Amino acid sequence: MKWVVEWWGLPARLLIGSVWIAAGLIKLPDPAASVRAVRAYDLLPESVVPPVGHTLPILELVVGVCLVLGLFTRPASAGSAVLFVAFITGIASAWARGLQIECGCFGGGGFDADATSKYPWEIARDVGLLVLSILLAWRPRTPFAVDTFLFPTETHPAEGVRQPR
Amino acid sequence: MSTRARKSRDRAATLRREAEERARRRRRWLVILAVGVVVAVIVGGTALLTSRDTTGQGGGAATTAPTGADGYGVVVGDADAPKTVVIYEDFQCPVCGAFEHASASQVAQGIDDGKVRVEYRVVAFLDQASQNEYSSRAANAAAAVLDVAGPDAFKKFHDTLYANQPAENTAGPDNDQLIEWAVQAGADRGQVTEAINSGQFDQWVVDATDQMSKDGVTGTPTIEIDGEKLDPQTGLQRVLALVR
Repeated sequence: MKWVVEWWGLPARLLIGSVWIAAGLIKLPDPAASVRAVRAYDLLPESVVPPVGHTLPILELVVGVCLVLGLFTRPASAGSAVLFVAFITGIASAWARGLQIECGCFGGGGFDADATSKYPWEIARDVGLLVLSILLAWRPRTPFAVDTFLFPTETHPAEGVRQPR
Repeated sequence: MSTRARKSRDRAATLRREAEERARRRRRWLVILAVGVVVAVIVGGTALLTSRDTTGQGGGAATTAPTGADGYGVVVGDADAPKTVVIYEDFQCPVCGAFEHASASQVAQGIDDGKVRVEYRVVAFLDQASQNEYSSRAANAAAAVLDVAGPDAFKKFHDTLYANQPAENTAGPDNDQLIEWAVQAGADRGQVTEAINSGQFDQWVVDATDQMSKDGVTGTPTIEIDGEKLDPQTGLQRVLALVR
């Protein structure tokens, strides 16, 4: 059990991080498509749609890279959790309003005749990743993280005791 | 403990503290550096994406619209026709191909009979589903045919493209082939060659695609009759009923 407690964080942040990196990278080549995917949800005022569409892929990429490196793990996982809450809200809202759109999670976006059957899976996936993000934000100390080097005073390995954070 | 031993111990402690202090400072600078890099990537990356999205920018100049376009639409048929059907299409979109396959000749007949007029809204968002950016090249070429030879030639060219639609993730017809079809549809070779090869209407197509999204159309083909947006299946049935 001790092993699980100490090591669960590494696969968790690698998993969430690589999901974000994939989601961000795939949107980089076509910023206009990212804007259209945001607009398709019909939730935000038009004036903020393009800035959000342009910022999201970069935020996803940065959060992903930070999580994979274990750099600023707590703020990165908190950011990841916030993004997941936003996406879950968006997908749930699209579902509730009867919109049939691709989530645009990994590029694409727009009409999808099978959308309604995909929404529950997309929400389930995002809820799972949200839970992991919250756990990571709560216990951000994980093995092989840059944080361990940058902020060594937070733990006292010699005593084998984690200080309250 | 002798005075000497105490002094030696204090000195060692001081040295250790100084070393720790240096390490702490170094780490603090690294943290500041890392924060700076993260902020720079977010700000710079967003600025880069914003600049690479040419929507509405017209490349610094006003967007060149093809002569004969009605906004972002290409209207084919009699102005007095009782019904107007608006069709949003991407030349690379397979469902559009299926829609055209099932309706093109009947719609052409319906236009000739004066039963409907059709406003084609050509958009291009499927370049990533083509090995040679067929989606945007075909849309630019269609706008070029409209510009050079008018709506009827556009309709012919449009039907030819759908009759020869490339599969997704293959290389679509090249510009030379598009020029041949454009000439067959009635466009002047010299003029249309220039417009197709230079991508004269690329920006207009980008803006048309953005306008589709602003119109609340999230995919293609979307068929709009009397302001009602219809999915491909329903749209096909309603269009066929109109021209029957």
